[in-house]
Amino acid sequence: MTDDPYKVLGVNKTASQDEIKKAYRKLAKKLHPDLHPGDAGKQAEFQAVTAANDLVGDPEKRRRFDAGEIDASGQERQERQYYHQYADQGAGRRYDPGSDGGNFDDASDLFSELFGRRQGGGAGHHQEFHARGQDIRYHIDVDFLDAARGSKRSVTMPDGKGIEITIPRGVKDGQSLRLRGKGGAGYGKGPAGDALVTVSVRAHPVFVRDGNDIEVELPITFDEAVLGAKIEVPTIEGAVAMTIPKGVSSGHRMRLKGKGIAGGDQFVRLRIVLPEKIDKQMEELAAGWREHASFDPRTELRRNT
Amino acid sequence: MSFDERTVVGQVQRVSLKELRIWVREGWVRPAQSDRGPIFDEVDIARVRLLCDLKKDMSLPKDALPVVLTLLDHLHQTRRELRALTAALDTQPEDVRRTVVTKFHDIHSGVNEPDGEG
Repeated sequence: MTDDPYKVLGVNKTASQDEIKKAYRKLAKKLHPDLHPGDAGKQAEFQAVTAANDLVGDPEKRRRFDAGEIDASGQERQERQYYHQYADQGAGRRYDPGSDGGNFDDASDLFSELFGRRQGGGAGHHQEFHARGQDIRYHIDVDFLDAARGSKRSVTMPDGKGIEITIPRGVKDGQSLRLRGKGGAGYGKGPAGDALVTVSVRAHPVFVRDGNDIEVELPITFDEAVLGAKIEVPTIEGAVAMTIPKGVSSGHRMRLKGKGIAGGDQFVRLRIVLPEKIDKQMEELAAGWREHASFDPRTELRRNT
Repeated sequence: MSFDERTVVGQVQRVSLKELRIWVREGWVRPAQSDRGPIFDEVDIARVRLLCDLKKDMSLPKDALPVVLTLLDHLHQTRRELRALTAALDTQPEDVRRTVVTKFHDIHSGVNEPDGEG
């Protein structure tokens, strides 16, 4: 069986969507398993034809297949990321051979000015060597609340030097901070390198972040849902009082304006939780209510199915 | 994304923890430091795969590895510099770009030496 859906359908790569549709119909009529009961070969062929049509019969999937983004079975092609793909970008800089690298004796001043491999003035000063110090890369894990509110952190760099890192309010997971001059010492009269600090933000059991907004799920009792209530809600800056209106349902979302990160909002999603054990009183209450209530929350559901 | 040593070894099956540590000590792979040990990112992992290819698939001798790496790193640095230069040139007016491109081809093909003797 071939992997090429065009071959399976017997059409050209340049065939129009219409031609593909026609080819598929013709083959489907010929091969449909119900027209050939018990013929396993025809059934396999039919399946291949159907799969091919699912792929190239859909203009969007066909485009992605043609572009090599998905394979003949419609799976995302997991392409290995080769080193040069990174090295060609800024991130590759960490593996640059350093400032002692190129020694272009015939290079012009413009060349050294551009690529800075021979710093320290123009021709004639070759022996004096000045270069910027190395950048040092450091990684810190930060608690959710420290990242949300901002904080300070002392770390010991690999060279033994201690530095204080100011974690800005609202720093995002994976964000990089550049601390100028906190890297390796410069050579000669060259300046010190920078410290590049990447930040991982730990997840929080209660707060979930969406940009600068915070999402919190708030469990409430059924009487609070029925009667309304004033409840304490945790925010990143501490608990605040929130009024829950009468008659809210699970999933109801309320906004606490400005209680997110750096001017963002906090959204509180209510969830009605019943006690683990339902006592007699509650049971009677529900039974009594059922007798006279005509509320049906599923009318919408039925209408739409 | 950030990965610790064990995650890297899990992701790149061809490398052992011992080997990875040697490569880091040699400076062939340069992870960020943290208070819970070295932290690698996608670039470092791609480089670990490259090292596996060089050492295992191509059976490069151990002494040759740093030589090849240095050459590769020079190549990548130069490519990035060239690209930056091209980008800088791209911001220039059309006539400047055209002049530079023409001049570049002349010099590159040896028609007109930069020193312009004779």
